[in-house]
Amino acid sequence: MNWWQRLFKGKRMERDLDSELRFHLEQQVADKIRAGMTEDEASRATRLEFGGLAQIKEDCRESRGTLWVASVFQDLRFALRQLRNSPGFAITSILTLSLGIGASAAIFNVIDAVLLRPLPYADQERLVYPVMIARTGDTLPSSYLSYLDERAQQRTFDALAGYSMFGRVNLEGSSGPAALSAVKSTDNFFDVFGVKPLLGRTYLPGEDQPGRDNVTVLSYEVWQNNFAGRTDVVGKDVQLDGSPYSVIGVMPAGFRYPLEARDAVYTPLHMNPSWAKSRGMHWMRTVGRLKQGVTKEQARTDLNRVMTDLARAYPEHESGHTVASLLSLDVASNSLDRFGKRTLAGPLGTLAMAVLALLAIACVNVAGLLMARGIKREREMALRSAVGASRARLMRQLVNESLVLCFAGLLGGVLVGWAVLKAMKVFLVQAMSRGADIHLNLSVVAVAAALSLLASLLASLSPAIRLSGTDPNRALRAGSAGAGTGRSQHRLRSTFVITQVALSLVLLVVSGLLLKNLQGLLHTNLGIDPGRILTTRIELSKGHYAGRDPITAFYNPLLARIAQLPGVQGVGVIDVLPVQGWGDGYAIHITGQPPYPPNLDMSAETRFVSEGYFSAMGLQLTRGRLLSPSLDKAENSAGTMVVNQAFQHKFFPTGADPVGAHIDDAPKPELTSRIVGVAINIRQALREPQMAEMDWLMDEIDPKDRLQNLNSMALIVRSNGDLSALVPALRNAVHEIDPTVPFKTPETMNDVVSDSLMLDRLEGWLFGTFAAVALLLAVIGIFGLVNYEVELRTREIGIRMALGSTRVQVTRLLLGKVALLMLSGLAIGWMLTLALRKVLSTVVEMHAGKDFLLLTSMTVGLALVGILASLIPAHRAASVEPVQALRTE
Amino acid sequence: MKNPTKFDLPQGTLDLLILRVVALRPIHGYAIAQRIQQMSQEALQVQQGSLYPALHRLEYKKFLAADWRPSETGREAKFYRLTHKGKLQLESETASWARLTEVVGLILQGPQGESV
Repeated sequence: MNWWQRLFKGKRMERDLDSELRFHLEQQVADKIRAGMTEDEASRATRLEFGGLAQIKEDCRESRGTLWVASVFQDLRFALRQLRNSPGFAITSILTLSLGIGASAAIFNVIDAVLLRPLPYADQERLVYPVMIARTGDTLPSSYLSYLDERAQQRTFDALAGYSMFGRVNLEGSSGPAALSAVKSTDNFFDVFGVKPLLGRTYLPGEDQPGRDNVTVLSYEVWQNNFAGRTDVVGKDVQLDGSPYSVIGVMPAGFRYPLEARDAVYTPLHMNPSWAKSRGMHWMRTVGRLKQGVTKEQARTDLNRVMTDLARAYPEHESGHTVASLLSLDVASNSLDRFGKRTLAGPLGTLAMAVLALLAIACVNVAGLLMARGIKREREMALRSAVGASRARLMRQLVNESLVLCFAGLLGGVLVGWAVLKAMKVFLVQAMSRGADIHLNLSVVAVAAALSLLASLLASLSPAIRLSGTDPNRALRAGSAGAGTGRSQHRLRSTFVITQVALSLVLLVVSGLLLKNLQGLLHTNLGIDPGRILTTRIELSKGHYAGRDPITAFYNPLLARIAQLPGVQGVGVIDVLPVQGWGDGYAIHITGQPPYPPNLDMSAETRFVSEGYFSAMGLQLTRGRLLSPSLDKAENSAGTMVVNQAFQHKFFPTGADPVGAHIDDAPKPELTSRIVGVAINIRQALREPQMAEMDWLMDEIDPKDRLQNLNSMALIVRSNGDLSALVPALRNAVHEIDPTVPFKTPETMNDVVSDSLMLDRLEGWLFGTFAAVALLLAVIGIFGLVNYEVELRTREIGIRMALGSTRVQVTRLLLGKVALLMLSGLAIGWMLTLALRKVLSTVVEMHAGKDFLLLTSMTVGLALVGILASLIPAHRAASVEPVQALRTE
Repeated sequence: MKNPTKFDLPQGTLDLLILRVVALRPIHGYAIAQRIQQMSQEALQVQQGSLYPALHRLEYKKFLAADWRPSETGREAKFYRLTHKGKLQLESETASWARLTEVVGLILQGPQGESV
């Protein structure tokens, strides 16, 4: 019979073995009776001769050589039965492990996808993104002309390409218009990345010049989603923004640049003709491939040599314009600011530490639970060993039990990890340029699993070694765990609790600070009521408006129609939506003021708005008048603008009236623009301080330039009614006027605020969850420890009370111990927090003074929770009846 | 509890004895123990603790086969019989045992025929 037969015919085997041995016994008894013994004597003598029946059976099984597999299954069955018998323990352990494993699997997945996985380019280490800055230190991209000079004069790059990502482009397909990301670039763009197209070709040299540039390369996603992956797409004509483009190629799956450009079509530059001729128009970002063997520093020096030459040739546009650094693309794509100084690696690293802390807490907790359970099972183990189970056999059984726990925990962990990633999906996609690439990755799960397996084995090993070595004689005689058994173990459990409290405190502090900061940002006073404003972006297809005025043909009818909708109190458009980003600082000078020092940033943001914008956004006028199409016409020789209070503050610090002032934006005084009003502030970008802003009426733009400036605008609608009910009406209004405009579901300004805080919310959410779980686990740990202590010391407590201790004294004794543990844990936690302050600062800054109340209340709260968790067992201890306690022994 | 007349069987010897006893006729475990005791003129007493693991080991190695049939008392018992493989094993083990005892005897008697 081989091992599988043994496994599957196990029951029969056991029965056979049993009857075989019983037959022997009976025969022996019969023989003895025949020899003259009484029946009682005979069976007694036989049993003595025979020895341990279980032991013989075990040896028989073992001699079949197949025991290992069989006993593993037997152990598993047994382990499951044991766990079923103590569901509280099982559920707690499995849940604990699931949470620990799941959380770490999720976070490590994110790290793997965002930081570790190579970028989808060839020779990634040679690809760089130049960060160009102006004299003020702020970033300043290249103009087209200066890019051409850089490209011609540099000596360190194989290819230096320019590109821009201005808004989106409308692809007209069979199923209506689709808004896609448009990456517009110079002809050598694809040479930089060294990635071959999947189908067709990429740009030929010179294909970025007008006349030859109506070609497009599709990304794999667009090819799949919008062209159903048809191979005959190459050579076909498609309509982009209403103009025909010929598809020349399709990029392979995974290729994407910039990484945040999902669903992209790549086209040549197609720039505004005026931009092509202007050195003052800084709009072009660059990306380059270094020559083999060239370092970043060499390349930076080389580029700056070119920039210095340019500054000499064109001092008014280029002086002070330099390359601050060359960023690797992985740094650039994970950058949280414009200089690559803060990247996702910081917060993600801290998150990884948080999740490891959580995993450690979980493991410590399970080890503690196993240990407490071990105490109760000492008798059981003694009994097993007395009837002949070997020490190795007992160990194996105990380890198997923890393996079952670990396996269940792993399954739960995969589920939790999947759920966590799913829940984070929206956050991730928005907060990280590679967020869409994050999926539950089996190899990462495997690593987390190995980690947790190791951890739970270690956790189970020490109780297993101790238990399997139980001396049956002593354990059985003593009847329960003697007072001496648990000393070292007790110390270990105390260490466990202290560790948990300490780690929980760190997590609590970080998440508390994060959530406080997040609350602060979310409730930034925008100066408006963001809950009553709906906004969506309108993208016009330029081809449809060739030779037409977008204001008279589209915006005016649309705004008029929306104003008629029920509940609408105001409607307007603006080119750059507040909160969401900054625009392009425009250095100005107020007529009549002394020249500004050259290093002082005297710039203001510029915006184009419609007449109704201010009332739709709820921006009250504090001085002068609002903009009006009847007064501020395109035909007027001089422009007019409304500025914000920050502008007034910045340029008129002495309290002079800005209304009526001019800015020097034209050589002749009668042509300079005039300020006609001042409105209250609204934040341009949530994270940036309030900036000075000048708003121009869009009607003032020369009709032939209007399409170029106004093809992408944010629609603002204020309503006092149900905002979501307004959405279908808005869709109808847009489509009645131009069915080729893709209608994106509007958001409230509150949503816009939340969206721009995606990474902060993600961090806050994760840390908050981790801290909550850690707290829960710490409570379980403390409860378990005290409970176990009470169980272990019932006899001692009984004696104390018999000798005159009061219930209060007993309770105080226990609570004193808990208090000591909590204090040690909190102290170590604080030391840890302070030691890690530098690392933690990538996520959150700590200000002892400002956050004192929060920090103190969290510390005290944790201590209170610990005391509360021990109250129930302490109460139990206090209600021990001395007589009962002494008798149970 | 040790029986003074009892020998400790050298490792592997029990297997050989069992094969020898089973070779006579199909026989159950109790009878095997009885038979060895009897054939050794009560000098060897086989402990159940070693007999049954040995039987199962031999069965697992396919030297023995077993089936259930009525015993002399009428109760069903597990009867072991020698397989062909077991027969070969018995022959080779017997031969090497004979050779071993001969050699050991030679040495113990010594070249001058002195006995210790």
